Amino acid sequence: MANFNTHFTVAATASAMVSATLLSMEVVTPEQAVVAFFIGTLGGLLPDVDSAHSTSIKVGFNVLSLLLTIMMIFVKSSTYSIVEMFIMAALVFSAIRYGLLELFRKISKHRGMFHSVPVALIWGVVVAILMHFFFGLNSLISWVYGFMVTFGYLVHLTLDETYSVDLGNRRVKKSLGTALKFYRLKTNIDKIQTMIIYASLVGLLFVAPDTELIVNSIFSEEAWLNFKDVLLPFDGKWFIH
Amino acid sequence: MNKTLKLISVITATVLFSGCVPAPQPQVGTTLGTSVTGSSNATSLEYGLRPSNYVSSIQSYFSTKLPRSNDAKYKFSQPKRAYKRKGLAYGGDVDWKGWLVEVSVATTSRSGRLLTPKPYMVLFTGNQIVAHILGNSHKLLVKVDK
Repeated sequence: MANFNTHFTVAATASAMVSATLLSMEVVTPEQAVVAFFIGTLGGLLPDVDSAHSTSIKVGFNVLSLLLTIMMIFVKSSTYSIVEMFIMAALVFSAIRYGLLELFRKISKHRGMFHSVPVALIWGVVVAILMHFFFGLNSLISWVYGFMVTFGYLVHLTLDETYSVDLGNRRVKKSLGTALKFYRLKTNIDKIQTMIIYASLVGLLFVAPDTELIVNSIFSEEAWLNFKDVLLPFDGKWFIH
Repeated sequence: MNKTLKLISVITATVLFSGCVPAPQPQVGTTLGTSVTGSSNATSLEYGLRPSNYVSSIQSYFSTKLPRSNDAKYKFSQPKRAYKRKGLAYGGDVDWKGWLVEVSVATTSRSGRLLTPKPYMVLFTGNQIVAHILGNSHKLLVKVDK
């Protein structure tokens, strides 16, 4: 299994490449490309938050608690006094960083369904919904950020699977197939979990923002032509434009 | 390691948060004006004056916002009344009420290929453009006139 540093480096590198490509294809602005890069990198650390004592769970919950605390301050700044805001900020931060983290550690199981393709998709849809409804971003950017989370997540799962193959000893480890999976049906609980995950995914898609723009921008024939336009110098002149 | 961890957390949270915050929009108060039909009912008045020279306003607005806008081809719809709520993170109240013009803009790629037109919704308060939204719908935006 790859360690935190490897996941971080690979996710950051892959996210940088994708966000730079989206920037070149004029799907995102430079500022949005920076955010997309960070979201993709974070997505690459997300799968290991189900590991009780991993670095990912600490980073994940630090980021989540800071984000929600800042958001609370932002929303309440016009109505709360400074002291009220400090007290609320301390409460929100502690509740998430310590309370929710402990609860999550108790109920999660490493390499359970958290390491699966449908959960990677769920994260993407959830991020798209949050960006659209909570921050009012347009459907394209909401989906780009959602796409980046899923992309980073899948990079992590792929890396875990790659580490399951020991090329030196020419053998596969027991962990092969536990990361990049679509379902898990060993026990009844696994079956119920898998069903809930797929049902949630379908349910979330009903409230998700419109997908037309993201499909046209990234997954269409025109997007492919745009990609080819920016892959190599379209006029054949290298470095002289 | 702990220091690195804290640094990563703080930077990521800050970048994500700042990136998610939309550009500030001018606060729009309820302005008085007459509706297109001259109706005097309160609902029409709430949306202010219908923009008169929206075609040139929009072309001038996008000329600084879109790449290769000189060759852009525009298609405009008639202005319609609409309102938009803030994101739920900011309370979800109505923060804009006015006139919306749907426009599709076809620009060229950097190699000169004409691209599929992109839909935009341009939000007006009177004759003033206050914002634009990529796409022809947004879950927080309601078009009053169909």
